[in-house]
Amino acid sequence: MLAVVVPVYSAALYLSFRATAERLESDAIAEADTLAARLANGLDALIRPVESGVRTIAHQLEEVDPPPSEYERRIRGLLNAWPEVYGSTIAVEARDDDPSASPFSPYLYRRGGEIRFADLATEDYAYRDLDWYRVAADGLAPVWSAPYYDEGGGETWMVTYSVPFFRRDVAGDRALAGVVTADLDLDWVLRTATQVALGPHGVGWLTPVDPASEFIAPIGATTERLRDFPVDPAVVREAGERMLADGDTFGSWEGAANLEMAYLAVRELGTLGWHLTLVLPRAALLADARALLGNQIGLGLIGLFVLLGAIALVAAGIARPIRRLAEAVGGAAAGGDLGFALPETARRDEVGVLTAALRRLRDSLQEHVRLRAESLAEQARLEHELEVSARLQQSMLPHDDSLRALPPSVEIAVVLHPARQVGGDLYDCFPLADGRVLFLVGDVSDKGIPAALFMARLSALLRVLGAGGHSPDRLLAEINSRLVEGNDTCMFVTAVCGLLDPETGRYCLASAGHDPPLLRSVEGSVLPVTLENGAAIGIEAAADYPLHEGVMAPGDTLVLFTDGVTEAESAQGAQFGMERLTALLRVGNQPAPAALIAAIIDQVASHAAGYHASDDLTVMALSFRPTDALPRVAGGGAGWLIEVEASAVGLGRAGRRLRAILEAREVGGEPAHDAELLAEEWLSNVIRAGASAGGRTLSRLTLDVVVTPQKIRLEFLDDGAPFDPLAAAPPDLDADLAERDVGGLGLHLIRELANVCHYERRDGCNVLRLELDRNQES
Amino acid sequence: MPLTINITEGTAPKLALVGRLDTETAPELDRALDKLLQPGRKIPQLVFDLGKLDYLSSAGIRCFVRARKAIEPAGGKVALVNPQPAVRKVLEIVKAMPRGGIFASVEELDAYLDEMQKKVGHDDD
Repeated sequence: MLAVVVPVYSAALYLSFRATAERLESDAIAEADTLAARLANGLDALIRPVESGVRTIAHQLEEVDPPPSEYERRIRGLLNAWPEVYGSTIAVEARDDDPSASPFSPYLYRRGGEIRFADLATEDYAYRDLDWYRVAADGLAPVWSAPYYDEGGGETWMVTYSVPFFRRDVAGDRALAGVVTADLDLDWVLRTATQVALGPHGVGWLTPVDPASEFIAPIGATTERLRDFPVDPAVVREAGERMLADGDTFGSWEGAANLEMAYLAVRELGTLGWHLTLVLPRAALLADARALLGNQIGLGLIGLFVLLGAIALVAAGIARPIRRLAEAVGGAAAGGDLGFALPETARRDEVGVLTAALRRLRDSLQEHVRLRAESLAEQARLEHELEVSARLQQSMLPHDDSLRALPPSVEIAVVLHPARQVGGDLYDCFPLADGRVLFLVGDVSDKGIPAALFMARLSALLRVLGAGGHSPDRLLAEINSRLVEGNDTCMFVTAVCGLLDPETGRYCLASAGHDPPLLRSVEGSVLPVTLENGAAIGIEAAADYPLHEGVMAPGDTLVLFTDGVTEAESAQGAQFGMERLTALLRVGNQPAPAALIAAIIDQVASHAAGYHASDDLTVMALSFRPTDALPRVAGGGAGWLIEVEASAVGLGRAGRRLRAILEAREVGGEPAHDAELLAEEWLSNVIRAGASAGGRTLSRLTLDVVVTPQKIRLEFLDDGAPFDPLAAAPPDLDADLAERDVGGLGLHLIRELANVCHYERRDGCNVLRLELDRNQES
Repeated sequence: MPLTINITEGTAPKLALVGRLDTETAPELDRALDKLLQPGRKIPQLVFDLGKLDYLSSAGIRCFVRARKAIEPAGGKVALVNPQPAVRKVLEIVKAMPRGGIFASVEELDAYLDEMQKKVGHDDD
């Protein structure tokens, strides 16, 4: 605070000093100049009437020429008119031509309060030789004498005004007749000058024209000042005369020893011709200003200390309660105890406001802490319930054991990652009484407990209604109509439900507003099942669910998922998406469902790395892998090695397997018919031949099917007796019906239908390769 | 999809075959024919409607041949009507039926039968 107050204060003082000094200086200057002018004018105004009185007498003497007896009366009038006039005389010039005109000089003067008479024309007093007479008489003009001290007379300094007067002589010439004088008492001038108020500084004086004169009249009561004045008045006088010679009456003056700088005011009296000089030393003016400044500084410092004291007092009045507050709050903060007491205060200033605010803060903190503790307890209870719910929900999902209880031709893997402890996703998969496998993946619209409860209902309904063997479209419709009832919360489920025949690979699907499953083929293609959607479950009472039917070839895999997979977001907000999922599923050679699931989970997790999953994530992969048909990728397509049991039953089963494979690869019409026919004819031939060869059972009988977009290739292998069907003689089709060997028809058909026939005996086995063009003309 | 045999009895029985006629199902047709072709029964006409027969192998063809063998000696005639292209192709490859034994439709067969009727009438004259 001092750092602010002191500089500001100093600056203010300095400016004040400057202003004061300037004002003092200009005031003093103006005053001195005015004083000099007024004094000079005043003296002149007093002296000038005396001058004119004397001149009037001289004039009258010339004009009237009264007799000498009249003279006394004339000059008495003068003394009566001006008390400053000490004495006056009319001194007559002695005339040589007129002896009667003896020296005569009646002199009236004041003494003891009365006017006395004396004749100056005595033997001892040869007035005609004295200066007061001689100068005027010789100069023939009025003149003032230098001041003189009248010893033996007035006992005072005097100055005499002498005016010559003339008379016409007989010749008519104007001749000097005498001199009229008036003695002016300089006491009066001295008094007048002394009475002038000169101010606190400076000196001034009146000096006669004659520099040799000792007379000096100090202006103002400055006798002592004059004595101490460091500069010789003569030097000042010279400077004043120089100034007057230049036409100036006022100016600054430098150059005198012992005096830095001074202001000089000079006047010349118009009457006496004397000089009036005023000297004003500048240092004295500045000293005054400094003295004033000193006063101001002194007062300022006192004010400053008073101010600082007051500030300290006020600050202490605020700081102390604040420190007490801080100690109360700080102690509580360190100890974690919010029950701390705050000092009571009735103050209504900032401290009071602060205390009240802290009290409110403390109270609301206490309340907050209490609520927090309550909510933590509540949260712990909820979490426990959630844990229980989660365990319950997990128990509703089929376990690995029940998944393993599925037919061996159905390989399945499922993962459900709830975003929270209890989730809204669900899946189920179980075999029906007729052997078919029911599977479902669903996603409840919400998450958390309500979703889990809804899911539990759905799950129970699925188990109960699903066991009835309804096709998925009917099953979804049934579940929907039951869940719509009383669904006040307006929750809904999207789901895909399917049935798979583990013998043939035939499946059917229905979807309730769910993403269509992806079908991954042996060849590696991944396509969404073209499935028409029905409404999500729980919305419309009379929802309709279109049924989709298809066939999986051995090795094909259906992938069902919830949007937790495709909508998993990366930190940049990019969704995992169908493209990533599709590309991911294409990779690898007939990956097992578990491997597919692991890959999906892995990729989704790395895609959404460090990002909390916002939705449940469920993936189910369902692969059809009958033991009697091993799939493989074959050039340009897929191949299946079908194990054929050498029996009528085995023949039928192999035919159905082949048919399913062809259907799965969308081989229909004549090519499918012909391929089946080729297989049936040859296999039945081999089996029959084997049977007829003495009950010897074949240990190897396989059909290798390769389907490419262009061809169907069937390669049969058996370890029966060597038999080349192509070498057999064609049957006589034109022979009479009764004589025809029906057994040869099959071989004939084979040769006729196949586009390529090739037989070889290889490693003790018959190998027959038949090929059909898929685009054959009918 | 196995084989379904819909038999329309009469002097000229008609068998509508639906599904597949192969090694597995041929015995079913054989049994149906056994019932139908009782020894001593004279059947002038035996019609197989193949419109809904999807598949035919040599085992099935043997059924037709058997039927022919059973009734043709007695002047009867076997007619196959409306076979699907693949089935027709098979029938033609093995020449299972005599020329004129396969009809594209029931109408074609009826027209043929009418003509035969007239012929018979003339013969009677």
